[in-house]
Amino acid sequence: MSVSEPRPTPPAVAAPPLWPGWTPESRDQLADLRTRYPTAEAVLLPALHIAQRICGGWLPDEAIRAVAQELELPESKVYGVVTFYDLFHQNPVGRHRIRVCTNLSCQIRGAEEIMEVLHQELGVGEEEVTPDGRCSYVHFECLGSCDTAPMMMVDDDYHENLTPKRAREILKGLK
Amino acid sequence: MAFERVLTRNVGNSDALTLRGYRKTGGYDALEKALRMEPDAIIEEVKKSGLRGRGGAGFPAGMKWSFIPQKDPNQARYLVCNADESEPGTFKDRLLMENDPHQLIEGCAICCYAVRAETCYIYIRGEYTKAAAVLERALKEAYEDGILGDGVMKSKFKLNMYVHRGAGAYICGEETGMLESLEGKRGQPRVKPPFPAVVGAFGSPTVINNVETLCNVPHIVSRGADWFKSIGTDERNTGPKLYAISGHVERPGTYEHPIGITFREMLDAAGGVWRGRNLKAFIPGGASAPILPASSIDIKMDFDTVAKAGSMLGSAAVIVMDETVCMVRSVARLAKFFNHESCGQCTPCREGTNWMELILKRLEHGEGRESDAALLKSVAGNVGGNSLCALGDAAVGPVKSLVERFPDEIDAHVRERRCPFPQYRYF
Amino acid sequence: MPKLTINDRTVEVPPGTNLIDAGIKVGVQIPHYCYHPRLSVVGQCRMCLVEISQGGKKMPKLQAGCSTPAGEGMEVRTDTPEVREAQKGMMEFFLINHPLDCPICDQAGECGLQDYSFKHGVAYSRFQYEDKRTYPGRERIPLGPNVILNMNRCIQCTRCVRFTHEIAKTGELGFFNRGARTEIGTFPGRELDNPLSTCVVDICPVGALTSTRFRFAERVFYLDKKPSICTGCDVGCNITVEHRRGDIKRYKPRFNPEVNDYWMCDYGRSTFERYKTVPRLRTCRVRDENGTNGSATATGWKEAIDAVHRLLRQRSAEGAVAFLGSGFLTNEEAWLAGRLADIVGTPHRSVPVDPGAGWTIPNLKGGLTGGELAPNRRGAEMLGLRPGLTELDETLGAPKKSNGKEAADTIDHDELLLGDGASRCAVLVVLDSDFGKAAYSPETVERLRRAKTLIVLGWADSPLAKAADVALPVATHTEKDGTFVNLEWRAQRFNAAFPAPAQVRSTVEVLADLLSRFDPAWGDLTAGKVFDRIAAEVPAFAGLQWRTLPATGASLHVPGSEAMMSDTAAQSVPEIS
Repeated sequence: MSVSEPRPTPPAVAAPPLWPGWTPESRDQLADLRTRYPTAEAVLLPALHIAQRICGGWLPDEAIRAVAQELELPESKVYGVVTFYDLFHQNPVGRHRIRVCTNLSCQIRGAEEIMEVLHQELGVGEEEVTPDGRCSYVHFECLGSCDTAPMMMVDDDYHENLTPKRAREILKGLK
Repeated sequence: MAFERVLTRNVGNSDALTLRGYRKTGGYDALEKALRMEPDAIIEEVKKSGLRGRGGAGFPAGMKWSFIPQKDPNQARYLVCNADESEPGTFKDRLLMENDPHQLIEGCAICCYAVRAETCYIYIRGEYTKAAAVLERALKEAYEDGILGDGVMKSKFKLNMYVHRGAGAYICGEETGMLESLEGKRGQPRVKPPFPAVVGAFGSPTVINNVETLCNVPHIVSRGADWFKSIGTDERNTGPKLYAISGHVERPGTYEHPIGITFREMLDAAGGVWRGRNLKAFIPGGASAPILPASSIDIKMDFDTVAKAGSMLGSAAVIVMDETVCMVRSVARLAKFFNHESCGQCTPCREGTNWMELILKRLEHGEGRESDAALLKSVAGNVGGNSLCALGDAAVGPVKSLVERFPDEIDAHVRERRCPFPQYRYF
Repeated sequence: MPKLTINDRTVEVPPGTNLIDAGIKVGVQIPHYCYHPRLSVVGQCRMCLVEISQGGKKMPKLQAGCSTPAGEGMEVRTDTPEVREAQKGMMEFFLINHPLDCPICDQAGECGLQDYSFKHGVAYSRFQYEDKRTYPGRERIPLGPNVILNMNRCIQCTRCVRFTHEIAKTGELGFFNRGARTEIGTFPGRELDNPLSTCVVDICPVGALTSTRFRFAERVFYLDKKPSICTGCDVGCNITVEHRRGDIKRYKPRFNPEVNDYWMCDYGRSTFERYKTVPRLRTCRVRDENGTNGSATATGWKEAIDAVHRLLRQRSAEGAVAFLGSGFLTNEEAWLAGRLADIVGTPHRSVPVDPGAGWTIPNLKGGLTGGELAPNRRGAEMLGLRPGLTELDETLGAPKKSNGKEAADTIDHDELLLGDGASRCAVLVVLDSDFGKAAYSPETVERLRRAKTLIVLGWADSPLAKAADVALPVATHTEKDGTFVNLEWRAQRFNAAFPAPAQVRSTVEVLADLLSRFDPAWGDLTAGKVFDRIAAEVPAFAGLQWRTLPATGASLHVPGSEAMMSDTAAQSVPEIS
């Protein structure tokens, strides 16, 4: 699909996953985390990581509220933390989250072309989710893999030494 | 090179990932030796070795340790290992953590014993999921083997060590930003004084050291400060050093060299500039370091020489740029990075990094003005030295070097009203 | 005590004092935005950069004055070219993304950006070819009922954020996003609705946070500002009355570390609105004495005072005379009213107050929690309106005229407002037509109306004033001088912010006039003269003087007055001679 074509209206998106509540394992994890730090506040980052996993990769307001309640912190503080860090998302993301390093080492070895490939293949803009909910992608700051530039991170995995062809193959492999 | 690899000796040896494999290479002997020493003697040894912080600032590690107040035996003290490697161009710590996690744990444990800290947090950037998993596994083994926990290696020393994952913020690599983040806050650097050695994590004295710095510690303890000092250029620049080289070279990667190798030697070790092209410029120490032109190729890559040349060794992350690279676009990309990563609390950094990015983008898009070079320099001057933490200073490094060392490229952009180099859609 | 010099002026300050505060001591202003003496030091705005030398050695970088503690032997300079250059640079950074909407900004005239760009900035912009950063849709966000945010104007000093976390301790506001996109705000769905919320408007150095109440009400440079005391509750917050030609536009807190520090509550700020919404009693009204059904007619002051004097003299023989006071009376008024009651010889005095919600105003000692919706119940009772005060003061030379009732049988405010006390009264003098909510309840007015004669003083033409046989228009607290005693027994003075309307007199004048009818020796009185007489006669006030009463007030000689007291005050009401 070419970029300039008007995109078909996406099918009705399923209601965003609200906060389903802490799972038993996550409760155990939180209890263990609390023993690691002298303050409850310090559990915030790990707790948000856990909450984000429960919510399928992003943090709806309900989840933020739940974390705030769990750790007895003001919601504004938790919200401030969520908006500060790049790895916390406040909008729905695809099942696969792609982060393309576009910092200098990758840029001068073709990261911009990789971004172009993603744009063409997925047909959506940055931080948008494909209509089927499969993927979303963003350009990202240095991911510490400059020796294998250009590279991208799909969920938790690094894909290095990319070429446009290799990037296309990786995208095809994502279910 | 006839140089013995020290820090990276286990890279490629997947056996070393396990505790047993690491022990086979002499692992944890240094910790055992350290536990028989007086803590202050370890600090002295590290001081004597001349080990300087490998994170960027190059502060003497032993000195840092000696600042930790020891008067109150009941006071909590912390070690926070800075594994938030986010400086563009830097990937050496990832290598160390993913390939030799026990080396880092051993270094942390020795440091904790020396400064009498009972808790160590390894603050690892959130994107390093693999390294975090490797470390978690290694920590588990170490606990099970009695290397960590109550009574380290059957001594009276008690030590807990945890991995703390960040969540994507370059500024958390700044030591006080890291402490804030560790405490569950926005990673906004604190005002200093008080320094972390006095009021650090959770209000207690805290040592913060980079992964590579701590990885050096077991070797100093087991082989002695004199051995360490025998490597390197002079008294102030000692030991083995990891150099991460990326960009337009044939074989980018992490190379271990004695500190003070020349850039030309480094480049040769990495196969030279790729595709037989000519060198245009290089960044000697990560994105914060001012760019050096090709004429500096014979520079000795140690802390003091690079500083004298008007740049900094920083994390020794070298980005090599060949003749096809547009310096304006490269610096604009770095400016975008710093603008994105500025925490936003202090005025010069928040507004200045943004403004510099806007000016550079304008230049790159062919909308530059003759006055822009002077404007960039002036804005950079107002940011540098006036910001709350070092990020402001870091952000102006590339910009200032662009104006000072590559004025012709700016002129070309202004004169031709476009970028004279090939264009890309993304910026 | 470190001793240092700032711009060559020597100053000695307690250890830990920062350079900004040290500078203030010797008259050197170090410009700053984010620093506030009661909030944590964050060193963010970088406006307070100074040059420091120690032992002749200059520090390599400029240092932030807010985060640098004064050190022995420091030589601080705020006037070197480097410092000036840095200040210019910071001002430029603040302004490049700040909208040029001063003509429609409430803050214009008291804006930190305006003031400092005039003093430290430059008059031209180098930010010509880029677009200003804006926050579309965030230009007028109501953060809560009292505060509106315009994010475009924000300079990210985070004073407001720190206020809600550290002072109000409610934490509604947060600092979101990062870098050039940082903004302040509330968590979605949460409101900035703590009782102190408007304080964030006061501490906002720019026009990002504006008060819903004051928004577009007046240009601040047209405002006349006079120190006064809030009448919202018995904490007695020190305030500034800001008005234009007698039209009050807002109350702002006035610094008093002993009472309200830098703060005041939203309720207190709203209290001036009564003066605008409640109809004003503007002339004396006297009802035809022959029948209570006749309508009251407007008269001059002489006739009205004559009428009151005559009624008090004649009718007091026919039954009880009762004085219903008010927590809004000043000490001076209460004292004069007490003397009048002495002359009439009645024990039937009382001070009704409405109980309050108990807002806590934080200060360095922890805070004061108001419990009554009037500023001066304690002072009014202590100085002459406590129920059962029957002892006549012989020194006043007033005719002794006891009505023979027992003290225990006094007709107090409960009796009057809730019971049938008024029907036993030949004369009921209500000293404030706006003494509380009851003055507006038809039922209460009917109860009070059962008195044979009802005399009402007050600024408000409340239903009670309308029902009165004699209604006397008196000044509001912004139109008169006086003192209040707060819940910590601190006497605090205030002066008229603007003159009362024609035909309206202060209660002190009116009572002095009345007293003079009984005994010409009273003569003309002002609040100041009365206060000095109180100081001479009442031990609790001993040693105080109207003229020298400090702007922050003075503690009375009352047991427990220095200690923090919320409602134990009632138990330790002092006996006065």
